[in-house]
Amino acid sequence: MARRQQGILTGMPFMANVSARAYVDDAGRRIYFAKPPARIVSLAPSITEMLFAMEAGEQLVGVTDFCDYPPEALTKPKVGYSNPNLETLVALQPDLVVAPNDFLKPDIIVKLEQLKIPVFILADKNVEGIFVHIQTLGRIVGHSAKADTVAMQLRHQVAAIQQRVQGMAPVRMLYVLNSQPLITVGPGSFIDQLIGMAGGVNVAAKSVTPYPRLSMESVLQEDPEVLVFPVGKAEGISESEQQTWRQWTTMTAVKRSRLHQISADWLNRPGPRIAQGLESLAAILHPDNTPGSRTER
Amino acid sequence: MADIVASWAQAGAVLTVQRWVVVIGGLLLASLAVLLLCLQFGATSVGMGTVATAIARLLRGDEAGSPSLATSEIIMVQIRFPRVLMGFLVGASLAAVGVTLQALLRNPLADPYVLGVSSGSALGVSVAILFGIGSTFMLLPVLPLFGFAGGLLALVLIYRLAQSKGRLPVHSLLLAGVILNAILTAFIMFITSIMEPNRSAGLMAWLMGSLTAPGYPALGVFLMYVVLVLGVLMHKAQSLNVLTLGEETARSLGIETEGVKKQLFVLTALLTGAIVSVSGMIGFVGMVVPHAVRLLIGSDHRLLLPASALVGGMFLSLADTIARTIMSPAEIPVGIVTALAGGPFFLYLLLWRKDRML
Repeated sequence: MARRQQGILTGMPFMANVSARAYVDDAGRRIYFAKPPARIVSLAPSITEMLFAMEAGEQLVGVTDFCDYPPEALTKPKVGYSNPNLETLVALQPDLVVAPNDFLKPDIIVKLEQLKIPVFILADKNVEGIFVHIQTLGRIVGHSAKADTVAMQLRHQVAAIQQRVQGMAPVRMLYVLNSQPLITVGPGSFIDQLIGMAGGVNVAAKSVTPYPRLSMESVLQEDPEVLVFPVGKAEGISESEQQTWRQWTTMTAVKRSRLHQISADWLNRPGPRIAQGLESLAAILHPDNTPGSRTER
Repeated sequence: MADIVASWAQAGAVLTVQRWVVVIGGLLLASLAVLLLCLQFGATSVGMGTVATAIARLLRGDEAGSPSLATSEIIMVQIRFPRVLMGFLVGASLAAVGVTLQALLRNPLADPYVLGVSSGSALGVSVAILFGIGSTFMLLPVLPLFGFAGGLLALVLIYRLAQSKGRLPVHSLLLAGVILNAILTAFIMFITSIMEPNRSAGLMAWLMGSLTAPGYPALGVFLMYVVLVLGVLMHKAQSLNVLTLGEETARSLGIETEGVKKQLFVLTALLTGAIVSVSGMIGFVGMVVPHAVRLLIGSDHRLLLPASALVGGMFLSLADTIARTIMSPAEIPVGIVTALAGGPFFLYLLLWRKDRML
């Protein structure tokens, strides 16, 4: 009742504020949708995966060059990636562009705003945020029931894994995002959080940035028990680069030969497959206590 | 400090053996002190004692990596020692190449990056990273090899472009270098733009310059280049003096300018390729250190060349020490430190010198 009175007093703009169809994105901008968008362009593989997971794949009319999952994504028109082709994008006549915060060139967003194409920005900082994104997107695109189910299942899966590794001795590990020079994940990245959830201790925990360039000295000092290398088609650490790590013969991980691979697509994409990523990370860190789903070689 | 600096500057243009020995001897001692200082700092700071034991072990030939060594010693012997040495050698080479190119092209802005050779190297490495080619092949470091090949290709290209009727005119060389640099840089940008963000972040980090633990084989190979090229450059120092007077004068003094230019050009390009292949793109040192040293001790290349090399070595060792400690356990690109620390110092030197001249 109070709400309605306020609305009458302050006029329509405030009504948009309380409307169920207005959403605030991670850039703090409020976007109002009169009806669920029918033509969506996704500018990140993780976003494409989210939309397919909530069965909104048919509304997707454009994806990035790196959107390769699920296989249906490969049939969608491509718009580029960190520097997408604006003309292609506009020609697709999207009524919603969902964009990541990180690698996209900022001027693209400004340009799309000038063209009156709504852009909804997602920033990935933590794991719960990924599930919230799925639910928010679900509401926007009119698939909220399915999106809620997906998010709930993911929360259950993650909770189950966390419960399983609870009480086990934490394992010091290093996630090698790039080998030469060494770049890894630090506090403030969702992968760092996943490491903790899988019963691991990130040896780069003292870094101040989410994706620090780590000194080899500190790695030897922290002495990881496990090395994890992302591998995949588009990104990942090659076999020969992994082998160069065997030169550090005093490192516990090398002594015990615990160099593991994990699918880069599962762990590096803040989308619905991070549960799989977490599962296999937990299996790597605690091989004796994880039933099934062992994926590493 | 200022007094010593002033007395050097006033010592005049005449190069005596005594002055050479004093300046170079002093810089050698300073270099040794700087190296010892740099060895003490890192993600884990160690005392002079550990540094000494580690060096002693190294000299005795104890196999690094034998289980008897403590982690701090492994860090000293396998990571910090080669890295500090590599930093010194890279800095020295950058400065020496800078001195030579500035004399050769009679252009104060010339540095190892102007000719496009470094961009060629960088492009070689970018291509390797784009196609996911690993960092080693039969224990040989592959990325540096690609860098070297790219640099050599750029060198051949620029040589062909600039050469006319058997001569190598300075202005065509500079122009060809600048244009080639722009083209090669565009290719590098293209590659980063089509890469997956994680991988392009790795490439960018490499492009911003990094002296990550190179290991002794790479250090040895690089040392060979440095000794060879610096040796020849020292031998040609008097020719460089004459070349700075202008080609006409040089020719009238009996120097066969085209031949000398070609030789020196190829040598510096080779060394630049080697530098970029081990350390990525570290700017600033090659351009600014020679200027700073020239302001202090004059422009006789017999003294300027070795002095710049030593100062360049000290400068980069110190810059890299800051780069790997200031945000420990993370590192920052050393190129940022060289520009931020060296730039203001250079400006100060420039102003100080201007006052004295007036």
